[in-house]
Amino acid sequence: MMQMARRFGGLAGMLAVIAFFAINLPETFLTPRNLLNISQQVSMLTVVAATMTVVMVMGDFDLSVGSMASLAGVVAAMLFTRDFSIGAALAASLAVGLAGGLFNGLMVSVVGILPFVATLATLTVFSGLAFLVSDGRTIFGRDIPEAFGAFARGGPVLGSVDERALVLPNLTLVAAVVVLLVWLVLEQTSYGRRLYAIGGNRDAARLAGLPVVGLRLSAFAFTGLGAALAGLMYASRVASANPTQGDGLMLTAIAAVFLGMTLTRDGQPRVLATLAGVVVLGVLDNGLTQMRVDSYVREVLVGAIILFAVGLSALGRRGLRRG
Amino acid sequence: MGRALKRHHGETDAMTIRTAITALATTAGLAAPALAQEVAVITPYLAQPGTQFYVDGFTARADELGWEVNVIDTAGDVAAVISRMEDVVTQGVDAVVINVDPAQIGAGLQTAADAGIPVVGMDAGSDPLVAANVTSNGYAMAAETAVYVASRIGGEGNVVMFTFDPFPPVQVRGVIADAVFGNFPDIEVIDRITPDVADGGIADSRAQMEALLAANPEPGSIAAVWAAWDQPALGALQAIEAAGRADEGIVITGIDANPQAREAIAAGGNFEASVAQDFEGIGRTAADTVQRLLDGEEIVQKVIYVPANLITAANAAAAE
Repeated sequence: MMQMARRFGGLAGMLAVIAFFAINLPETFLTPRNLLNISQQVSMLTVVAATMTVVMVMGDFDLSVGSMASLAGVVAAMLFTRDFSIGAALAASLAVGLAGGLFNGLMVSVVGILPFVATLATLTVFSGLAFLVSDGRTIFGRDIPEAFGAFARGGPVLGSVDERALVLPNLTLVAAVVVLLVWLVLEQTSYGRRLYAIGGNRDAARLAGLPVVGLRLSAFAFTGLGAALAGLMYASRVASANPTQGDGLMLTAIAAVFLGMTLTRDGQPRVLATLAGVVVLGVLDNGLTQMRVDSYVREVLVGAIILFAVGLSALGRRGLRRG
Repeated sequence: MGRALKRHHGETDAMTIRTAITALATTAGLAAPALAQEVAVITPYLAQPGTQFYVDGFTARADELGWEVNVIDTAGDVAAVISRMEDVVTQGVDAVVINVDPAQIGAGLQTAADAGIPVVGMDAGSDPLVAANVTSNGYAMAAETAVYVASRIGGEGNVVMFTFDPFPPVQVRGVIADAVFGNFPDIEVIDRITPDVADGGIADSRAQMEALLAANPEPGSIAAVWAAWDQPALGALQAIEAAGRADEGIVITGIDANPQAREAIAAGGNFEASVAQDFEGIGRTAADTVQRLLDGEEIVQKVIYVPANLITAANAAAAE
């Protein structure tokens, strides 16, 4: 019984959330336009959470992703102000993400600092760098190339509803590609299986001859790169960059992974489960806003739902162990 | 009923019919709330005191007009403002009021424009897709205090400026103060400080001012402190008093006239002047502006200024 609750409780809860909004917002919630809106609204969170899954698979996590997203945004924007091409600015900013991620990996795996401490420190470092690079300013307006801001507003046209074009947002496509890539890496390669092995038992993985240090180091590169990409997506969406704008992504991304873990049989992070977690969080924001729920009540509710889902899953796991 | 009409006849028809019915109801001496308008107020900055006053003024006026108001705070997240705008457009509100730089939420403004839903800014900034922005004239406010400083110190002496260029409404204040002080050949701006505002700005401003006082020990070596808002002015006041240099006649001015600043000004110390924006007035005027748009008026002047008042010891206690 507990096993059933554990296995399908999370899924049932998620479907219940969707059904709840579908019933309460019959005319607007399950419309193609609203679903596409949600997909775009969660696109940045999806990228951060998907790449966060890579390190959480090993039992690690990365607190610096939010400030890395901010840093990547201002790096690109500052390069725009210096007349770099969009391609060069994006490449440089992704390179910053990769370097930051590898640095995190170095601190965690080679130096051996706890991920909580190491990435808390780099959170501060990246945030400080973002302020340094941008001089504390919001970079916006003519400094941002038209095409960069237009990217987040555009996408392939799917059709037309109520004489308004229905667009598959570019940001949604980017997020989908990232989820696909992370899924391939984690689920379809021996690299991914080794990360899961480290998550299962690090000592056993080492004794089995896995290059644990190198694997942990390289895995952090994904979160750095993903955070930088999300920062660029955020900057494109708001056609501007300021040194704090990505900060909120970190906690929500970790929450999404935990929420996703309630869906998997063994309670391990899986990227598709993470995606489900992201969608639930996005749906809650979208639906509760449409139902005119006070934004502070909305925050309390979202937190409570995370606790409820993860709590249920923890109880289920305990039941499993006893049984 | 209004929304049912909207679905069948489109936004414009529904609006006209609704306006007509509202007019009928009014002439018949009936209250209008049966056709309550729905307005969403979206801001990332609700935690800031000024924003709360805007929203209070707005909701007070909206109550009088019989609207349903949904206030949405995204807690600093600007991209979430776009998301919530998309949501309320989907929900089918009659108007959206924003309190965020429109340059950063172009996607949300476009969504509202495509759906024919008017957007009014509450101290937000100008944009072709914002029907009107209601605000104080930041240039005029900064001119009030900068000119106060310049004339108070007789057009000569060293001035310390506290500015915050990342936030556009505060940035324009700095520009004017630069121009005013630059126009006096004997006024020298010895430092233009951007304080760390993470804790509200008082503590870091105090620390920075303490360093400056230590670097300029001669009495009279600092004639005035011009701050683009009140917190740095309060921090500077604390530093000057703590350094025992309150009797040197250093003139301090702030902008916004928050309660703490009013108290300091009323006490008659170094903190001599500030400017009070009429936040509630901005909120009320924003509501009136929404009403004008819902009545079908095309607003030509896209920026609507609500006057601000210079606060000195003479009126600090009286005003509010």
